[in-house]
Amino acid sequence: MAMDVVDYEIFGNEMQYVEIELDPGEAAIGEAGAMMMMQQGIEMDTVFGDGSAQQGGLFGKLLGAGKRLLTGESLFTTVFHNEGNGKRRVAFAAPYPGKIVAVDLAELGGTLMCQKDSFLCAARGVSLGIAFQKKLGAGLFGGEGFIMQKLDGDGMAFVHAGGTLLVKDLAPGEVLRVDTGCVVAFQPSVDFDIQYVGKIKTALFGGEGLFFATLQGPGRVWLQSLPLSRLANRIVMAAPAAGGGGREEGSLLGGLGNILDGDR
Amino acid sequence: MTSVTARLYGPGLPPAGQDVTLRIDGHALRIDAPQRVLPEQGVRLRRVGFDLKGLELAWDDAAGTHALQVLDGSAVENLTRALPATLQSAHSELTRSARKENSGRRLGWAVLGLFLAAPVILLALFLVFADPIAGWIAEQIPIEQERQLGEASFAQMKDDLKLRDDTEAARMLRELGARLTRGSRYTYAFHLADKPEINAFAMPGGIVVVHTGLIRATTRPEELAGVLAHEVQHVELRHSLKSIVKQLGLSALWMFATGDLGSGMAGSAATDLLTLKFSRDAEREADAHGLDTLIRSGIDPQGMPDFFRILAEKAGDAPAALLSTHPQSAEREAALREKLGALPAHSAQPLPWKPWPPVL
Repeated sequence: MAMDVVDYEIFGNEMQYVEIELDPGEAAIGEAGAMMMMQQGIEMDTVFGDGSAQQGGLFGKLLGAGKRLLTGESLFTTVFHNEGNGKRRVAFAAPYPGKIVAVDLAELGGTLMCQKDSFLCAARGVSLGIAFQKKLGAGLFGGEGFIMQKLDGDGMAFVHAGGTLLVKDLAPGEVLRVDTGCVVAFQPSVDFDIQYVGKIKTALFGGEGLFFATLQGPGRVWLQSLPLSRLANRIVMAAPAAGGGGREEGSLLGGLGNILDGDR
Repeated sequence: MTSVTARLYGPGLPPAGQDVTLRIDGHALRIDAPQRVLPEQGVRLRRVGFDLKGLELAWDDAAGTHALQVLDGSAVENLTRALPATLQSAHSELTRSARKENSGRRLGWAVLGLFLAAPVILLALFLVFADPIAGWIAEQIPIEQERQLGEASFAQMKDDLKLRDDTEAARMLRELGARLTRGSRYTYAFHLADKPEINAFAMPGGIVVVHTGLIRATTRPEELAGVLAHEVQHVELRHSLKSIVKQLGLSALWMFATGDLGSGMAGSAATDLLTLKFSRDAEREADAHGLDTLIRSGIDPQGMPDFFRILAEKAGDAPAALLSTHPQSAEREAALREKLGALPAHSAQPLPWKPWPPVL
């Protein structure tokens, strides 16, 4: 199926949204719930499965939907198509602080592996699949779990990362060691594995855990500085309601300082 | 000559790679656009791709390291077939190590699966071997401790029971009990409680309590003897201990196996159902052994099934607490009659107490 070539614009700094311009007849698919606004003339259709190509019959649709369940996305995708006469815009917003990554799948050779749950939207024709991590170690300790999302096609796709984004191009054989959980996406040519931190003292007290994720080139990788889970952890730890009692901002006085701070 | 579509990475190319066509002609591997010729020596093979089904050819030259990747399954096959002899041996080496890695991976998965399934396996084993396990553990507990356990719980209930141990009927109960427990390793104590429900129960260590309501429901002393023989067998077979062991084991393993899932209504219902099944099994066992006790003591065993007939008839109207955790009375009666029919003839003197039921 031919891809729709879409123009897009990303707005915002740390809490972004992406606006996609659709020519008449063009369409984009969005993760359910990600739509922020759409102009008149854009029709919304909810389809079961990933809405990419014509999936063969009921079974194909169920399979597609099942895959989406496994990656933690909703069963349905929403297709936004322009039924108007001129160009129309639809915007999709990122669900938490971070950056939206615009990826041209054609430039990457047609496939992108990304963290599950990170898909935001794409031009119609991009198909959402899953890939199972075969390396036991990488699945258990790599920070991305055993299931990753696979985007196939040659149009634009938008995925979302937490914090600040780092795009790195790895030369053949070049290895990057990454904190687990910080990998957002990579080209399938990149080898994703784990490596033991090497020293028992570092493993226990270094605060980086027992393993690094390693990415070996060639290919392009996308890293996020702040995985959502880490942000969530800190927030829960700091929330008085969850018994956190708060991480102090470095007051010498400790508990006494709290009273002086006057923030409770 | 074979052509394979591949993606080339390296110096002078876009970092995300470029699609190229690899031409293989005998020993020569070359790419036309951009112009690249693979050296005859020093090409390294590697499995690549997220599913590790792709193949990479990497080589070094003055400009740097180049990597050529084929990820598509059928293209990989074509490439593999067309590889020159020098690379073929490297490829079969790669296949061998991949196979070894695969079996290692399978082993890893199996270990992980076993580890995750361990609680469920333990639970299943426990369900299958609950009886021998509970029996073994119960045997490890000395009778003295069992008696203390029974006495402690009896002391707690005592005030609610309205005991009538100084009556003629209680004396009769003790006499009958002594006859049924002759030669036992336990020291028994039989009590009469002034309560209307048709019920009798045994506590660990040999304390047996009979409700007056039960005695009123019987039509002759042999029926009471049947009930007593049943309760005595609960003590002899250490059913209380075993059921404690089974319940503890079951709830612990259930929690272990199901985690948060099993703690809801459905979970507790499932463990309750299993506990009831254990309880009914114990009742059947006590029935069967109780029948033997009656025969050994020279008491007419017909009283036992007769009493279950009475219970079955009363089940509709009277609050018969004896029924709750127990099998259906009619079913128990039938099982007992069947067992009796298969037994050889036995002699029994009628029990002496008259009139029946005694004054309560």
